[in-house]
Formats: sequence, structure tokens, C-alpha cells
Amino acid sequence: MQVISPWEAARSGEPETEVPTQTEFAGRRARLFWLALRMGLLTVLTLGFYRFWMKTRLRRWYWSAWRPSGHPLEYVGDPWEKLLGFLIAVVFLAFYIGIVNLLLMFLSFSLFNGNFAAYLLSFLGVIPLWFYARYRARRYVLARTRWRGVRFGLEPGAWGFAVRALWHWFLTIITLGVLWPRKAFYLEKYITDRTYFGAQKLTQNGSWFGLLRPWVGVWLPVLASGFAFGVLGYEGYQAMQNFDWVLEDNPTPPETSALWQALVLAAPIVAFIAPIWLLLALVNYNVKRVRYLTSHKSAGDASLDIKPRFWKVTGIYFWGYSFAGLVGALILTPIIVIMVLVFESDGMAAMGLESGTVETLPQPVLTAIAIASYFLLFLMWSVLMHTFIRFPMMRHFASSLTIINLGELANVSQRPRDEFGEAEGFAEALDVGAAI
Amino acid sequence: MSDQTTIRVGERPAALGALGTYFDGESAVAHPARIRIEEGQQALVIEFAGRHVLWSLEDVRWLPDQADRSELVLANAHDPVARLITDEMRLAKRCPNLTRRNTHVRRSKVLAWAFGAVASVALIIFVLVPILADQLAEFIPPEGEKALGEATLSQIRTVLDETGIGELPICENQDGLAALDMMRGRLEAHAELPIEMTVHVLDHPMVNAFALPGGHIILFDGLIKAAETPEEVAAVFAHEMGHVESRDPTRHAMRSAGSIGVLGLLLGDFAGGALVLFLTERLIEAQYSQAAEHEADNFAMVTMEAASIAPGALGDMFHRLADQYGESEGVHSHFQTHPTLTERIALSRAWQMDAEARGFAAQPIMSNQEWVQLRAICQ
Repeated sequence: MQVISPWEAARSGEPETEVPTQTEFAGRRARLFWLALRMGLLTVLTLGFYRFWMKTRLRRWYWSAWRPSGHPLEYVGDPWEKLLGFLIAVVFLAFYIGIVNLLLMFLSFSLFNGNFAAYLLSFLGVIPLWFYARYRARRYVLARTRWRGVRFGLEPGAWGFAVRALWHWFLTIITLGVLWPRKAFYLEKYITDRTYFGAQKLTQNGSWFGLLRPWVGVWLPVLASGFAFGVLGYEGYQAMQNFDWVLEDNPTPPETSALWQALVLAAPIVAFIAPIWLLLALVNYNVKRVRYLTSHKSAGDASLDIKPRFWKVTGIYFWGYSFAGLVGALILTPIIVIMVLVFESDGMAAMGLESGTVETLPQPVLTAIAIASYFLLFLMWSVLMHTFIRFPMMRHFASSLTIINLGELANVSQRPRDEFGEAEGFAEALDVGAAI
Repeated sequence: MSDQTTIRVGERPAALGALGTYFDGESAVAHPARIRIEEGQQALVIEFAGRHVLWSLEDVRWLPDQADRSELVLANAHDPVARLITDEMRLAKRCPNLTRRNTHVRRSKVLAWAFGAVASVALIIFVLVPILADQLAEFIPPEGEKALGEATLSQIRTVLDETGIGELPICENQDGLAALDMMRGRLEAHAELPIEMTVHVLDHPMVNAFALPGGHIILFDGLIKAAETPEEVAAVFAHEMGHVESRDPTRHAMRSAGSIGVLGLLLGDFAGGALVLFLTERLIEAQYSQAAEHEADNFAMVTMEAASIAPGALGDMFHRLADQYGESEGVHSHFQTHPTLTERIALSRAWQMDAEARGFAAQPIMSNQEWVQLRAICQ
């Protein structure tokens, strides 16, 4: 990729007209591979302790690869502040989770004679915290992101976000998922409308109807196959109830409805096609969602535009997961072999089956190999996800991102530093799933 | 661009001139800048838009992990926001402290919170959760506990069933049950249990026995087959009664509910952490339960002696098991939920000797024929 020099980028000045400013993507896959591998290895060796450093360094790399209008983004997060934030979160959450879980278990034993209610309740109890943590994590990341020397920022409002997220999830669930795009739009709007670049506030325009069409593509196959198998199951159950006809002298099957017969024929086809359709529809929805939501964001006079392509994204997922799956299977094979040997070794010895070479190894060695392969699997999986999914995805998204009417944005003034001592500690502890 | 750059690198470089972009950190304006080194002041001079700033060479830092390796992104140690971007890579050679990091996070603060986090997790897992679990276990209504035990038993039977469809059968040979009842009556008469026991034998070759919440005691057929005398079965039976007496299974269930969640927090989103979580939980659980097993052993000794059953039977049983299956000691034994067999054998034999000194005389539990019937309980 041709990356113009900083001087050229600066001297060419900012386009005053409405000519869109392209975004470049710098960085090579091989470098990312080694960085992710090194960081992942250190994280495994330190039993997860190094992950704060890993996250920081990978983010620095990814951020600097994005170059809107030729100037790289910068990630200024500090691993030590992440560690500190995590420790703070642990102190608070440990009490909540430890004591609350125990009390719930007690109530569940006393009132419901089982532990299911407790697991359910403690899961439900963490959900608001989960949304809260997600917003806080976003606030931290934006506060540590800079472009052209100017900070991004997100206004405080994590509890507001949690309440809205709960409400939108509730609406989505009671409408059987129809309102999913509405939830996606309003939650994104809540965040975007509180986001700043320097002194300039961002705005989310558009409406949730813009996401409805791609969502129907996801929603219909789920609903249709749910309906089909529901009817099939019900009719099948009815038929089983009247099973006596088989025992009669002259068996005549009872009348079945035409709908049922059609569904019986369609069921295998639906069972095969529905998952593929669903996966493609999900990719399509996500591509369209990013397109719509990003292209309807503006900051003052400037606005964004992004045009990721469905087939390109599908291809990245397909080849990326195929390759990672292959490598994963190769790593998994020795683990399974060793696991079987470790558990069977007692029985084998008893039966006098002392053949081969692997089972003559002492058990601790086998166990060590199995544990090492187990971690190797996670390590390689995360490295391959970085190199073969996230990297090509980011490159594709970045290269299709343009800023329209950059003019005023280029002169925007700085915003004060958001200290935010807790960093993304809560998200980290609750495993909110912000992978990078 | 290169035609505007004049660089001389020699013994005493006279001047280094390069081009770049300067961001002053006050606004987003990208200033095209000329950069040179002022040898007299050992400083970087950045000229832009008719102004200039001076960065002492000692204060110049670079941003690591940049995706684009054909340019330098530089910062000033005393200015958190200003940035200079240049593709003149040779500049790096002139800045002595380029890779030095400065973090605004005080290590002492991190250390203090780390101590706080470790202390609070330890406090919760080792003090608060066990105390609360022990206290709350007292308040669980007996019916609730009983139902919980039944639900768990049903789960265990489903898991152990080899056909994969039904539940592992409970052995119901009438003569066998009568013999088991005799043993139970003998032990029960000499112990005061807080709740009524429910005793089952499961048709499975595993050499094991366990207690579940609500007074359930489960013996496996394999255990009865492995025993050589009724006294050995009675010893295991009495041990499980010890768990019922101290409500260990209920406390155990409540404790792990509290501590697993807390441990999960510590590992966060570390991939592969599930294994570490499992092992840590196992380690903590083992420490608790080794103590509980010890108490159950003591309970068994006291009850057996009172019921005129030789306390040494537990040791005889374990001695044979140790010969057959080996003993685990060392690192491995910390993960074991039970004390090592050697310890338990020693305890049982010592108790036998003390009891004999106190004038203990054993009375048989059942006749030979009844013992044959007990061994055939699953037929």
C-alpha cells in the first residue's frame, strides 16, 4: 500500500471542498502475526497477567495502521493503568459476586430446592453491570485515542446506557427479535451522541428503519424454520398419539394434513439451507449496519462514509475461519490422543497392553504435554484470529472509509484529559468481550 | 521530497534537516514542519507556520508498535500531547532516550491496590464465604435440603448410567437391604444425626461412597465387593455419616457457588483461563474438604468404637486399596479432596490400639450368611 510521507500529507493541506478524504491502512500481516504470537505467549506463560500489556501493544499497532486523511491514529493507553483499573474492579466486584452468589444459592436451596434459580438470578444480576462495564470500556478507549494530536472522548453516562440497554433488550425479546435493529440503532446513537473529537461533538443521524431490511433477512429464516419445525413436531406428536393404527389388521395411516406432508418433504432442505442462509444474512446485516450507522454519523459540517462489501467480508470470514479451523484441528489431535491415553492408561496397564511408545511415558509428562497443547490451541487461535480475520477486516473497512468535508474538523481544538483511573477494569473482570 | 532534505552524518554532523508534520496538541491542524538539530543546544528545532519549538534531544521519545515502520512518531517527555511525525528515520540515532517510557501511574498505587485485591479475594474465599456458608447451611429447611439431595442423586445416576438413556439402577435385593439396615441400625444407635438418613446402593463397579445434602448416603456396589468384611463397609458407612452429621455436602455446594464467581473475575477474559479456574477451585476445595474428611474420619472412629465395631477396619480397607491402586503424594496430593491414604491408615490403626488399651471388645455386625446376602445386594 502506498503511504504518502507525513510532510506530503500535511503540505497538501485539507480539502476545502466536499471532496472526500480517503483513509489508508498501513502495516503488514507478518509483523502483526509475530507481535500477536509474542504477546500471546507471554500472556499464557504469566497465567494471564501479561494481558494488559498485550492488549495495549496490539491496540497501539492497530490504531496506528488506520490513517484517515494520511495521519495515523494513536492509542495512548497505559498497561499499568489497565492493571490498576482491573485491581480496583476486583476489590469491588469480588464482594458483590462472592456474597451475592452465596445468598442467592441459599435462597434458591430454601425456596426452590435446587440451584438452577440461583444460577439464573446471578446471571440476571450481572447483566446491568455488563452493560455498564461496556460503556465504561468504550469511554476509556475513546479517551485514550488520538488523531492529529487531538483526543477523542465520551461523556459519562454508563448507568443511563445500562438502563436503556435493558429496556431495548426487553422490547427486542418480547417482540421475538423484530425490534433488534431498533435496539442496535438507539444504543449506537446513545454512544455516538456523547462522543467527541476534541471540542467537536459527534451526531448519529438516520433512523432505525434503515437497518430493518437487512435484519429481515436474518429474522425470516429463523422464524420460518422455527415455525416449520414447530408444526412438524406438533403434528408428529399427534401422529404418535394415534400410533394404534400400525397394530390393526389392515393398517391405514391416519389422515395427515397437506401442510404436514409438505413440511416433511421440506424439512431436510430447510435443515440444510437455513443455517447457511442465516450465517450469510448475519454477515450481510452486520455489513449493512456498519455502513448505515457510520455513513449517518457527522461531526459539525464533516461526515463519514464507509462502504464495506458483503462478498469481501464473507470471503474474509470463510477463508479466515477455514484456515484457523484447520490449524486448530491439527493442534487438537495430539491433545485428544494424549487425553485418551492418560485416562485409559490405568486400564491398559491392568490388561497388560504395554505396547507403543506414548503410553510408556510417565503420566505427569503426558499431562504436561496435554496442558501445553491446550494453551497452544488458545494461543494459536487468537493469533490466527488477529492475522486472518481482524487484520484483513480492518484493512477492508479502513480502505473504504472516507471523511467528507474534513475542513473544520482539521482545525478542531483539544479537549481536556479524562483521567478515568478505573480504566476498563470492570469490563476486564466481567469479560465483556472487548477483545482488543 | 528528498531534494529538499540535506543530511550530513559524520564524525560531527553539522546539521540534520528533515521534513515532517507537527501537531501542537492544541488543535487538530497538521503543520508542515522543517526539522533540524541545533548542535549547540543539543535540541531538535521544529519550524512550522512561521514559529518554532525546541525539543531537547534527551526528551525526545518515540511511540512504539507503529504499524508503519517507514516513519517515526515522536513525542516530547514534557508535553503529553504534541507529536512530530517524520520519515527521516536517522533522527532516531541522535536521540539517546528514545525508548524510555514514562507512565503517569505510580507503581506504589498499583502495589497498594494489588495488595487490596489479593487481600479482599483471600478474605472472601477463605473467611467470608466459608463462614456464611456454614451459617446459612443451618437455616436451610430440611425438606429443601432433602429435595436438593434427591435432585443431585438423580443427576449423578444419569451421568453414571452407561446406556446413556436411563438412570443407574438402585440395588434392591430384599435380603441385602435387610443386612444393610442391620448395619445402619447398629451405627445409628450410637450417633446423633441432625436429620434422618436415606441409604442407597448404586449398581456400579466404582470403589466409592459419598454423602449428598439432606442425609443421603450412597454406597457403590464396587465398594461392597472390594470390602472383605462387613466391618470395612461399616467403616466407610460411618465416615459418610460423619459428613451428614456436619452437613458437609450442603456447605460445600454453597461455598463453591461463592468462590467460583470470584475466581472467575480474576482471570477475566484470559483465553484458556477455564483450565486455570478449574485447577484453582479444585485446590481451594481440596484444602477445605481435607479438613472435612479428617473430621468425618474422626467421627467414624468414635461411632465405631461406641458401636463395638473395630475402628481398624477403615485402615485395613485403605491398606488394600493403596496396594491395589497406588498412593498419590507430593504436588498431586494438594489437589486431592481427601487426606492421603497413608495418613488415614495410620489414624485408624492408632485408634484401634488406643481402643484396645481402653478395653475395647469387638462384636460382629452380622452373620456370615447375612454378609453374603449384603454382597449380593445388586443381584
